[in-house]
This record gives sequence, C-alpha cells and structure tokens, in this order.
Amino acid sequence: MIGFLQNLIDAVSLGSIYALTALGIGLLFGILRLINFAHGDYITIGAYALIVPSADVTARLLIGDLPLVVMTPLICLIVVVAALLSDVLVFRPLRRASSPTLMIASFAVSYIIQNGVMMLYGARPKAVDLWSGANTQILIGDLRVPMLQLIILVVTLVLMTALTLFLRKTPYGIQMRAAAEDFRMATYLGVRGNLVIGLAFAISGILAAAVSLLYTTQSGSLSHTMGLPLALFAFVAVVVGGMGSLVGAVVGGFTIGIIVTMLQAYLPPELRAFRDAFAFAFVILVLLVRPAGLVPSRTSFERV
Amino acid sequence: MGALLTVDDVHVRYGDLVALREVSLTVAQGEVVCVIGPNGAGKSTLLAAVAGGVAPWRGSIRFGDAEVVGLRPELVARQGLSLVPEGRHIFGTLTVDENLRIGGFIHKGRAEAKADHERLLELFPRLRERLNFPAGRLSGGEQQMLAVARAVMTRPRLLLVDEPSLGLAPRIVDQIYEILLDLRRREGLTLIINEQSSNRILKHADRIYVLRGGRIQLEGRAADLADGEAIRSAYFGFGSPATLEGVAP
Amino acid sequence: MRDFLIRHQTPALLVAGLAVAAGLGVLTGNETVQVTLTEMFIRLVVVVGLWVFIGNSGIISFGHIGFMGVGAYAAAWASAEPGFKQIMLSGLPVFLQENQYPFAFAIIGATLLPALVALLLGIALMRLSGTAASIATFAVLMIVNSVYANWDSVTAGSSSIIGIPTVVGPWVAVGFAAGAVIVAYLFQVSRLGLMLRASRDDEVAARASAVEVRRMRLVAFVLSAAIAGAGGGLYAQFLGILTIDPFYLGLTFITLAMLVVGGMSSLSGAVAGVFAVTIIVELLRVAERGVSLGAIDIGLPLGSQEIGLGVLMALILIFRPNGLSNGRELVWPRATPAAKALAGRTLSPELAGDAAPSP
Repeated sequence: MIGFLQNLIDAVSLGSIYALTALGIGLLFGILRLINFAHGDYITIGAYALIVPSADVTARLLIGDLPLVVMTPLICLIVVVAALLSDVLVFRPLRRASSPTLMIASFAVSYIIQNGVMMLYGARPKAVDLWSGANTQILIGDLRVPMLQLIILVVTLVLMTALTLFLRKTPYGIQMRAAAEDFRMATYLGVRGNLVIGLAFAISGILAAAVSLLYTTQSGSLSHTMGLPLALFAFVAVVVGGMGSLVGAVVGGFTIGIIVTMLQAYLPPELRAFRDAFAFAFVILVLLVRPAGLVPSRTSFERV
Repeated sequence: MGALLTVDDVHVRYGDLVALREVSLTVAQGEVVCVIGPNGAGKSTLLAAVAGGVAPWRGSIRFGDAEVVGLRPELVARQGLSLVPEGRHIFGTLTVDENLRIGGFIHKGRAEAKADHERLLELFPRLRERLNFPAGRLSGGEQQMLAVARAVMTRPRLLLVDEPSLGLAPRIVDQIYEILLDLRRREGLTLIINEQSSNRILKHADRIYVLRGGRIQLEGRAADLADGEAIRSAYFGFGSPATLEGVAP
Repeated sequence: MRDFLIRHQTPALLVAGLAVAAGLGVLTGNETVQVTLTEMFIRLVVVVGLWVFIGNSGIISFGHIGFMGVGAYAAAWASAEPGFKQIMLSGLPVFLQENQYPFAFAIIGATLLPALVALLLGIALMRLSGTAASIATFAVLMIVNSVYANWDSVTAGSSSIIGIPTVVGPWVAVGFAAGAVIVAYLFQVSRLGLMLRASRDDEVAARASAVEVRRMRLVAFVLSAAIAGAGGGLYAQFLGILTIDPFYLGLTFITLAMLVVGGMSSLSGAVAGVFAVTIIVELLRVAERGVSLGAIDIGLPLGSQEIGLGVLMALILIFRPNGLSNGRELVWPRATPAAKALAGRTLSPELAGDAAPSP
C-alpha cells in the first residue's frame, strides 16, 4: 500500500510536468491550430539560460546562481522572448497557412533551436546542481515524499489556477477564449489578433519556463534534446485528452504521467526497458476506443 | 449629405472563382440600405470585404474619410464599422455577458462600456435574464439578438447585418427588425442589411441594391421599386424563375 | 507507344532523370560521389514512400522513418551472416538464424513486415482527425525506437548488427528509386488515389462516408510504409551494419524537409526535393569542413548544416508554400495542353488540413 502511494506521488509529479507542457501546447493549438513542436525547445532554452554559454563539459551557473525571486522572472523573460521571436519570424508570416504546414514549420523551428543550442553549448549533456536542498525528503506518516515533488505539484496547481483566473476574469482572457472559439469573429469585434496570439505565445513561454526550472532541478542535467521527450509525451497527452480542450490537456498530461510511472513500477523487470513502447501502445489503444480523446470538445477552451 | 461608405469598382476572387465584380455602392449617413440577391450572389462576400475580412483583388472601399481596403478587421472595427455575420457566430462557450463585453473592449473607457452594456440590456431584456448562461444554449432568436447587441457594443457608425432572418420564425424576425430600426432612430445608426427576399425589407429600407452573380443588377429607392416587378426581373435575370427553387422575391 | 509515353510522361521523365543522374555519377568514377548518390537514391525511395501517404491524404506522418527502420531490420535478419545471428540474435526464429537469404528475399521481407505493422497501427490511427493522426504517428516512431533499441535478442539492442552483405550500389538504388516512382505514380492516378485526394476537399469529404475515407487512408498508409520499408532494406544492405539510432527524428526531419522543399502535393516535387536538399546539405557539409587558407581554417561552425536546412525549410514554407515544383508535375515543355492535362493530374495544390481557420 505504501509502495503504491509512493508510486502515485511519483506519477502525480511526473504528470504535473507533462500537464504543464501539454497546457502550453494546448493553448496555442486552441487559438492558432498550431501544434507547436518547438515547445519542448522553449523548455531547453530556459534550462540552458541558467548556465554560462560555453562548450565546456562542466556547467557553471549564471542566472541559475541568482536568488529565486530574480532568477525565475529572468528565465521566464528569456523563454517568453524566444517564444515571441519564433512567432514573429516564422509563425506570423504563416497566419493563413493550413494546420499541417504550421506543424511542419514548428518542426523546423525546433530543429533550428536544438542545433543552435548545440552550437553554443556543445553536444554533450552537462550536469547542473540547481537546488540540491529540494531533494530533502519529508515524512508524511510512513510516506517519504521528496520536497521537490510537492513543490512541483504546488507550482502546477498555482499556475493552472492563475491561468484559469486569467482566462475567466480578465478582459484579455475573455478575448483569448473568444479568439480560440472563432478567431475571425473576434477580430470583427475589434479583438487584436496578433496581440492575442502574442499573449498565447507569452503564456506558453511562461509555462515552458516553469517546466525548465522544475525539470532541471529534478533531473540535474542539461542536454540540447532534453525538451524533446517532454514535448512528445505532451503531444500525446493533448491528443489523449482531446484536442482543443485545455482541461483535456491537463487530464491527458496526468494520464500519461500515471501510465508511465505505473508501467515503470509494475512491469516485470525484463520488460521495463520497453516502458515507452507500452505507454505509446496504450495511448493508441485509448484512441482506438475514444478517437476524440478523454475530454472531447466541440470548441476550444470549453469549461476551463 | 456626404456618403458614409463608398464602395468603388470592387472585385473579389477566391482562387479562380470571381465572387464580386465591378461592385460599386454608396451609403449615406443615417440610411438603411438593403442588399438582396439569391444564395451565392456574393452578398456575404460584399459585407466581409467592407469589414476587412476579405481582401478585394481590385477597387477601393472608403469609410468616412479613410480607405479601409488592406486594413485588418480589428482596425476596420475601430473605425466604427461592425458586422453581424450570417449564422450569427456567437461565442457559444462564453457567457452572454462575456459575449457582450467582447464588443466593449474596443473602447478605452470602462465606464463607457459599462453604460453601453446597461443600455443594451434594457433594449434586450431577454438577454438580461440569461446573462450568465453559456451563449450556446440560447435559442436562435436570442442568439441573433445577442449578435446584434454585441456588434452595437463596439459603438459603430455603420452596422452591417448579414441575413438576420435566416432560419428564424417570422415573429422573431419582426422583433429583430424592430430593434434594428429602433437602434437607427435612437443612435443614428446607418445600416446595411443583406436579405435573400425583399418582401420584408421593402417596408423598412431607404434604398435597395440587387446583387446576382457577383454584380449589382439594380439599384434604386425602395419607394420606387415597391411593386416588385423590377426587382423580380433583376433578381432572376432573364432566365426562367422556375429554375430557382424556393426563392421568392 | 508514343501516346503511352505522352500520357505517362511524368513518371517517364522522372525515371529518365534518375537514370541520367546515376549514369553521370558512375561516370565520374569517384567513390564519394557514388556513395552520396546511392544514399540519395535510397532516401528517394523513402521520400516517395512518405509522399504516397502525405501527398495523397494531406496528413503529415512523422512515423515513416519507423517503418524504414522496421524494413532495415527485416532485411538484416534475412541477409546477415548466420554465424553472427546465432550468437547475437538468438531470439530470432531458427529459419532466420540458420540461413542467409539472398537480397531479393531480404527486400521482400523489408517491404512486407512494415506493411503489416502499418496495417495494425493504421487501423487505430486512421480513425483520428488529420491533426490528431499526425501527432499519433509520432507514437509509431517512439514505439519502433523503444522496441528495437531494447529487444537485445533480436536487434542486438544498443550494439549493432554486422555482417550484412553490402550489395546496394548506385545502380541497384536507382533501380529501386525508379520502381518507387512508378508505383507511387500508379497509385496517384488510380481510382483510389484520385478519390483520396478528392476527399481532402471539404465538400467531397462530407459526401464520402467516414468509413470510406478511413479505408482509403489506410491503403495509402500501408502502401507508403511498404515503400519506406523497402528503402530501409536497401539502407541496411548499403551500409552493412545496422543500429536503430539513425531511424529517429533527425532522418524524419530531413525526409520531411525534402518533401517540403520539393513541394509535397506532387510526385515530381518529392523527387525534386530529394535532389535539392541533398545538394544543399552536401554544400553545407563542405562549408562546415572549411577551407584552409595558409595557417587559418575558415569554415562554418558545426551544426550549420542542420540550422541551414531548418532555415531553408521555414523560408520555403513562408515564401513558396507549394515548394520548388509549385505543386505541378513534371511535363515535357513542348507537350500539348491536352497531354499536360493528362499528365498533371494534381487536384489541389494546397495541402488540406482539418478545420484550419485562416486567422
């Protein structure tokens, strides 16, 4: 029982990371019909921004050494700028392009960022120690919970609540939901299209920056392809959850987190290496039963 | 009286398909102009082009003193021109209240928007009752009212209404027209209304344009066209009316 | 005969072009050129396979490099030396372990196995909407990668399969490339191919039943996986040594870039893209290696090749969305209009997506 609870906590914390990533991807998909392959690379940018740019094997912290209250906004700012730049340079000229074209364009952006990071920082993974204190374990009854997992969960809940409040209560949030539902109609009513899209990129950048910090603290290493598996799992989460629904993205994220963790824990040891294959096969099975996802939505952002 | 809107020699193409050709039209301040024509005549394209949603391939559209061709819809809206599109396009997952507020964000002053909001709810008491409902759950007539109210929230000088009677019961359509004409009286709104059939519009419009096959076939004062004969022949062209099912002028 | 050639001038011209390229390459007698050319023809097989699905259905697939990998391993299982297989691949069925099959059998295996896998996965994937299906094809890539990287007893896992006869040179590769072009062309002008492309048009799709569209997509998916798999088989018998690593996102990106650069709505575009991207990548590679001017080496930093390709792809998407071919098929310049109409049967130059708004 304790073992199961321990696994559940792992699952929820991994699910949180996937959910945050999926939320960033889902937000842009809702408004732009863009499946942003480069979202994972925004995460990579945020992580590498912590250290001194060099091709050395050992990483020296730069921004990562600053106090939390300075570091966090700075990393957010850098990732937001990267996200906005990718919009202005690539996606804005493609506003009238079809959804598959946008997806391929984001694949190109991702490839450029990955190789750019590699050019600047070298191809070898680097170890970083962002916040060793976070690995202290807290005892709750018989449960040992790493503090970091609690922090991940809390940060995720705070960000999801903030996003919900933003979308529900603020003028820009309402405009974003309107644009997600019917972009053309929103602009007929004076909603500034590029502003709303820029905002969506910025929010997706902030979500990516949060994942950069949490994930780097947890994994303790950097690599120029680190964002890739996150983005791939988050994509699948978005599809499993139901495309176009933000709740779906979150549900999908947690579902994938639980599937992966439970497979890791309960697969026989000789099959454990095939964890990802089982996870993706399971996803295909889910889609076979529910092609529209777990939280199917007629329009985007329903019931945020 | 100077023209509020001047459409001059506008052509619109979708790929190889020409949707509008040589369309010219003027609307004076305070007028109610109706564009009638069969399905597929280019009526919606005309309004979309005026509102900035479709870029003309040739021609000019002047609103007030400014050329609006090439402006994005959100900028055209800021000039004081608002479109109620065919099919209403209300934001179904947003509440009625949020739908209305979207129209008001265009203005800097919050107080103004709030006053507009209140004033419109007085005009549309039914919307007030359903203020916190998701707009998608409203009836067709209520949705049409919301679409009109939402457009008026942007404080337009010119309101474009695309087929307000589509799919609605005649009684509801009468109500909508009443409200539109009431708005014109109270707020000095200028109106362009698209319709497929002319019987209702002849009573209310000052002037009428008949559009068919992407061209203006006829224009004139409603009073002069009251017997409907000229409209009928422009609407159907020189072909036999029997080939067009179900559309009676 | 003349009518036949005019009617089918697009594949005839493409095949002739391939033969000329191979001939010129062999004439140079330069080994590097021949190796590059062979690899290009193999990629051409894969890209044409990819095009059979993407070009006709309008759905982007990120999973076909997985099928290429499945094909490559199938060929390796058939053709690698029994001595190696008995020691390292003890999980293989005995008939594979104990025998070394000729090239033809290896390629048949490399075609059939991916087709089977595509059929099984496709039944699920083709039920999804276009965008969701595209994302789900990533799952194919991930599953293949995960299974082949870890199933040590049949794939030699993280080490590699060696002892595969290297029988594929420029002539064999160009032969298969020509074959792939012809098969793809035949599918394009077949009733099924025409209907599938027509189904991308919203109105037609609305009239066709969902089941029918799904079935047509599945056929294209299986056929394209088979062609990509054959490309994988060629690759295995070209390199002689096999690991799963190359069959992942890098190659997925390059093959998609080839389609985009050439123009993914026409077969000629797919072929042109392979040539164009190969030339550009080779040039960038030379630039990366740099030139020595006296004591100083001048060259682009490592990674320029990839970044250059990414930028090129973005530029093409923005400024020439239908690629170099502009969505048209290759026809003889002086062909009569009627012949052009016969040959250039592309329905819509745009790549249709599902429910994409145009903000």
